[in-house]
Amino acid sequence: MSHIVTITTEVRDAEALRLACHRLELGEPVHETVPLFSGEATGYCVRLPDWRYPVVFDVDQGQVRYDNFQGRWGEPAQLNRLLQFYGVEKCRMEARRKGHSVLENQLSDGSIKLTIQIGADH
Amino acid sequence: MKTIDIIFSADGQSRIETRGFTGSRCKHASRFLETALGATASEQLTAEYHQTVQHQPNHLTQEN
Repeated sequence: MSHIVTITTEVRDAEALRLACHRLELGEPVHETVPLFSGEATGYCVRLPDWRYPVVFDVDQGQVRYDNFQGRWGEPAQLNRLLQFYGVEKCRMEARRKGHSVLENQLSDGSIKLTIQIGADH
Repeated sequence: MKTIDIIFSADGQSRIETRGFTGSRCKHASRFLETALGATASEQLTAEYHQTVQHQPNHLTQEN
């Protein structure tokens, strides 16, 4: 292992978000303006199970807006799981775009591991 | 074999690990994924990274 990078995920790809929602059997993200508890937000809206307000992704800015009242109006683990699957789908897309093969494994701690094999010409 | 492993944890964080690359080539190889995913929170160079750098040819010449 030669270097390790830790990344904070930013949702900037609507197609990867759509694929993540599909895998989690959530509704299709729709670009709209929706009310939150305080004010309104515009972006791709995802309605997570048992969340009072939708989660709004501004893919141009890489920002996410939601109001779950510190977990009382929505379980944070649901959003984390969506971000997890967004990352998986985004990396799969980017790797395939470059012609790399991708292997996916579910780990026992709930993590998902992607192994990307880099061709000899890279 | 050159591979890039990406671990997506259940808390939404992701970690990229490169294997089988020589020196700084690992950074170049994984950059497209780092850029695609978001903002780099931390980076750690491993012992293997430094060892492989030392094994690269030295192009410096000494003048007397």
